[in-house]
Amino acid sequence: MHKDCDKTYFKKPEFYRLTGENNYVRIDAEDKVTGHGQYVGDIMFPDMLTGKMVRSPYARARILSIDTSEAEKVPGVKCVLTPKDFKWAAKVGNGEFAAEFADKEVLCGEMVRQVGDEVAAVAAVDEETAQIAADLIKVEYEVLPGVFDPFEAMEEGAPEVNWEGKGLRNIGMQSVMKAGTDIDEEFGKAAYTQHREYGTHRMVHAAMEPHGAVATYRNGTYTVWMSTQMAYVDQFWYARCLGVPENRVRIIKPLVGGGFGGKLDSYSFGLCAAKMAEMTGRPVRMILSREEVFQTTRHRHPIYMKIDTAFGADGKLLAKKCYHVLDGGPYGGSGVASCAQATLWANFPYKMNSVDFLARRIYTNNPSAGAMRGYTACQVHFAHDLNMQYAADQMGIDPVEFRKISAADPGYVAPAGLTITSCAYKETLDTAAKEIGWYEKKGKMKKGEGIGFAGTGFVSGTGFAVLEAPNQSSACVTVRLNKRGMASLYIGSHDIGQGSDTVMTAIVAEELGLPMDMVKTFMSDTFLTPWDSGSYGSRVTFLAGNAARRAAVDAKRQLFEVIGPMWGVMPETLECLEGKVISKEKAELQMPIGDAMFRYMTVKGGDELVGVGSYYHRTDNSQYNGVNTTNYAPAYSFSTGAAHLTVDEETGVLDIDEFVFAHDCGRALNRRAVEGQLEGSIGMGLGYAVYEHNITKEGKVLNPNFRDYRLPTALDMPKMRTFYDFTPDQEGPLGAKEAGEGSAAPVAPAIANAVNMATGIYFTELPLDPEHIWRALHGMKDDRNSK
Amino acid sequence: MVHKHTISLTVNGDQIDAIVKDNLTLLDFLRDQLFLTGTKKGCEEGECGACTVMLDGNPVNSCCTLAVECDGHDIVTVEGIARDGQLHPVQRQFIEKWALQCGYCTPGMIMSAKALLDRNPHPTELEIREAIEGNLCRCTGYAKIVEAIQAAAAEMNWEEASHA
Amino acid sequence: MVLPQFEYLAPATIGEACNLLLELGEGAKVMAGATDLIPPMKDKVITPEYLIDLKKIPGLDYLEYDQEEGLKIGALTTLRTLETSPLVKEKNPAVAHAAKMVASTQIRMKGTMAGNLCNASPSCDSAPNLVAQGAKILVQGPNKDRYINIEDFFLGVKKTSLEPGEIVTGIVIPPLKEHEAAAYIKHAVRKAMDLAIIGVAVKIRVENGICTDAKIALGAVATTPIRAPKAEEALVGRELTDEVIVKASEEAMNSCDPISDIRASKEYRKDMVRVFTKRAIRQAMEQLA
Repeated sequence: MHKDCDKTYFKKPEFYRLTGENNYVRIDAEDKVTGHGQYVGDIMFPDMLTGKMVRSPYARARILSIDTSEAEKVPGVKCVLTPKDFKWAAKVGNGEFAAEFADKEVLCGEMVRQVGDEVAAVAAVDEETAQIAADLIKVEYEVLPGVFDPFEAMEEGAPEVNWEGKGLRNIGMQSVMKAGTDIDEEFGKAAYTQHREYGTHRMVHAAMEPHGAVATYRNGTYTVWMSTQMAYVDQFWYARCLGVPENRVRIIKPLVGGGFGGKLDSYSFGLCAAKMAEMTGRPVRMILSREEVFQTTRHRHPIYMKIDTAFGADGKLLAKKCYHVLDGGPYGGSGVASCAQATLWANFPYKMNSVDFLARRIYTNNPSAGAMRGYTACQVHFAHDLNMQYAADQMGIDPVEFRKISAADPGYVAPAGLTITSCAYKETLDTAAKEIGWYEKKGKMKKGEGIGFAGTGFVSGTGFAVLEAPNQSSACVTVRLNKRGMASLYIGSHDIGQGSDTVMTAIVAEELGLPMDMVKTFMSDTFLTPWDSGSYGSRVTFLAGNAARRAAVDAKRQLFEVIGPMWGVMPETLECLEGKVISKEKAELQMPIGDAMFRYMTVKGGDELVGVGSYYHRTDNSQYNGVNTTNYAPAYSFSTGAAHLTVDEETGVLDIDEFVFAHDCGRALNRRAVEGQLEGSIGMGLGYAVYEHNITKEGKVLNPNFRDYRLPTALDMPKMRTFYDFTPDQEGPLGAKEAGEGSAAPVAPAIANAVNMATGIYFTELPLDPEHIWRALHGMKDDRNSK
Repeated sequence: MVHKHTISLTVNGDQIDAIVKDNLTLLDFLRDQLFLTGTKKGCEEGECGACTVMLDGNPVNSCCTLAVECDGHDIVTVEGIARDGQLHPVQRQFIEKWALQCGYCTPGMIMSAKALLDRNPHPTELEIREAIEGNLCRCTGYAKIVEAIQAAAAEMNWEEASHA
Repeated sequence: MVLPQFEYLAPATIGEACNLLLELGEGAKVMAGATDLIPPMKDKVITPEYLIDLKKIPGLDYLEYDQEEGLKIGALTTLRTLETSPLVKEKNPAVAHAAKMVASTQIRMKGTMAGNLCNASPSCDSAPNLVAQGAKILVQGPNKDRYINIEDFFLGVKKTSLEPGEIVTGIVIPPLKEHEAAAYIKHAVRKAMDLAIIGVAVKIRVENGICTDAKIALGAVATTPIRAPKAEEALVGRELTDEVIVKASEEAMNSCDPISDIRASKEYRKDMVRVFTKRAIRQAMEQLA
């Protein structure tokens, strides 16, 4: 089915029984509250071995030798893996379309490029033995100078971090987005222009479940249970690196204890577990320690941003230039699209005539950066929204009004090709302003008190395809109906905690008029479920949700085409409702869906009914080929965050009285699920704004623990109110758009703008921890963040 | 030399006798020796609360408790709080209020909440937040968790009243 | 993460524990709640060969109040007990508050104040208060029992003045008399789970509007908790006006020389000593009002 699929059989809103309601619970909830649900670390085999990685303590060094002899002597050690075991293996990357740019060895053969780079691995009868053996592996290094500042890395003579000898000057990626009217002319005619610079810090996902894998090798097939957001991408890279075709790699995603983008890379530990399972013939479990998670999994890119903007006398945004420099660390991985996206977000959520954006992702010897909730939108919106606030203040225009002047509207087509469909950005601004009490409090706040707003936009259902597919970035779903009218739902998309399995189940139950427990859902198993490229780019609800709906509707249509003629009515006049097939025209015509299925199978010679559905965003390849002007997504979400707070001017401590969040997610499919996403976004955004900072020195994380990497606790969260009833999207599944990723972006800038108002100081860097604010209030430089 | 002890304790009401290494934590004992994997490993250093269990009725981090320390004591894990096929009210309300997303902090969170309600049937919101201050959640922002614990308290008080 | 190997010992009497500790020497560590021991052992920061658990020894879990001697706290009395005890809240609320400031509920359920002190971490939340209030540490050794004044207890980071074979069995905090009040404020980024950036404890006596005694102790600004004698002098003999309090706070600030680390810079720590000394004095005054 293609994008313009026949919507004849789509259920009309008046027949919705589940959508937008709160009359069912998560399908995984009982497993999770009883402790019965299986995460990767809970998977056990009687003869299972435990693996440990051996990692580099240096940020950049040449490996001179590896001596495993002592480790091999430890009783209970079953396998020691060194780079020679992957000698002919391909490198690991992220996008299949850019496989030739894959830049990470499974085990480093010659050079280590970051602290924690993988050098060897061990499997033993238990964790203790594996750790003892891993500690006995002696690696001799020649320590080389590293580079830890992306600007220094671009200088002539800087150490080459990756692709040595290619003369890249560490510019791993570069994206340009240039479109619209003559930009110099726009700046020339502007009533007001400004140049501002901003910087953001290093953050980690810190999902509560550490990364891990359990691997077996049986019948020539690797089966890997993986805490992953992209089983099919893992399958691709595992096959390449293990040197087998994809039909010998089965990746199964059990319950995943949070991802947030941190589980979008095919990390070495899982590949080593698979290899050691093959070499020992025994299952191998490899679970990372929290310190390994902090040091060796991907981080949110620190970005340095320079922005020039031009405004008309009425405050209208005319044109924008920006230069973004991303600290990528030594590897690409899930950072593959970060550069292009760092230009994309600079468009949102405003109209302008001309754009000239440049982003560079620089190789350094810092820990590798990659995808993280918002995928550079958190950084870019922080800078660009503070830039808007600054302009509003300079031009003396109310900050809400100022944002509305240039706010995107439905139907707007941006110079760069982005096509806005549904858009309630202005409504989110109005809602947030009203609910935070802006108009009552404006001009009446005491010293140290402030209200800040931030407005952002995000893709809903990215068109960015990580794996090559018949159609870009497609999601596929299969629905099977048996003779009792029970549906089995096969979905490739990845529930990583956000609840997408429940949403998919509800969409299918809605279309088929079934109760939730009549739909049995099978998910993310590369041998069992249909193809899906993963949980990233806010693609799950929109793409997989549409695919699920289409699969259910495909099944429904086939059923109606049998039942309709039997009743002597047109198939399209039928509907599935409350467990029955009904005629929408003749009330007397109805039948339990199980009976209808029995009739169907009788007519079809015993065939069960299978419905298939897929969905993809129709776009072109220009986002990969450097042109970078295209419509990235089938729809876009918009948000306004508003913070009301007080700054303790003696200590720099923020007391956030309230955070109001208005998010245009189209029609909320499940109210509590949407609220949970928005509240969680505020939590993570607050962490980004104030509490969390992954501090590194020469590439080593100095606070790789929850003691000093401060996730907000229940006592640190402010009062939150969320608003999300805006216009349903025409293309979204049952009217929905994304609610979980773009929503992370407006939190930090809203808080920063409130702090600006409270203190009169325009902060330009994160995080706004007490000492940072205190230093600014005392006119002191804060160089703790310096690259 | 590996040092071991024989311990005797109750886990979720069952009498258990086991031989444990001295350096085995209660968390690893529960997960690897008793296969009670509901208790989760988040940080292993007492900083996230995912491994919270009840030791003689008190919520503790099982990662910072030795198995051998538990000799003669009573342990309750998330697997042990449903009664006669009925979920505990805290479990039920976590489901009803959508107080979980990825679910990895949930078992520890539920044990902290149960321990609170066992001794304080009418907690204020602040008392609830204090009771779960050592349970980090990355997904929810805690709002629905607090709501679920409030609802569980109300349900338990109502049950109490209707039995009285 | 695996704990390094060690032998777990659970003596039945304190005498037995002391003898074991003496006999096993440096390789042995005494354990009560274990919450300050297990994380550094997992990180291999400490690798004791023996852990001597006090929990099987009867009579060490007590909490009493005596008009003359004050609060008596056993070595196995948990921080949670101190935090929630109505007796402590009534007789010495600053002690209950300081106990509550440690880590999380789960940690305080097992962790003890004695263990928190013996860990001798510069940022220990229990200590400044005890220093300001002149507590005594009750110690039993292989040969004799003795009291150590809290100020003589800490020698440096992770170092105490305990002699070989000596074990802390209790803590005695003198009573707050009429006209006396104490306060402890911890400054941290989060409201729970954090280690202190700085901590300030104050004990004052105010009679007829004049401060007749003052003790100020600071945490996380040196290798051990320290007193701020000049700040105390600035208060004693004076009416506690804003001006006097500000002067004392500045003296407190000037009396410390903290380090910069990932939690805070030296400059910030110093200024926070100033701010929170002021606030702690005011908190104590409010209790007297």
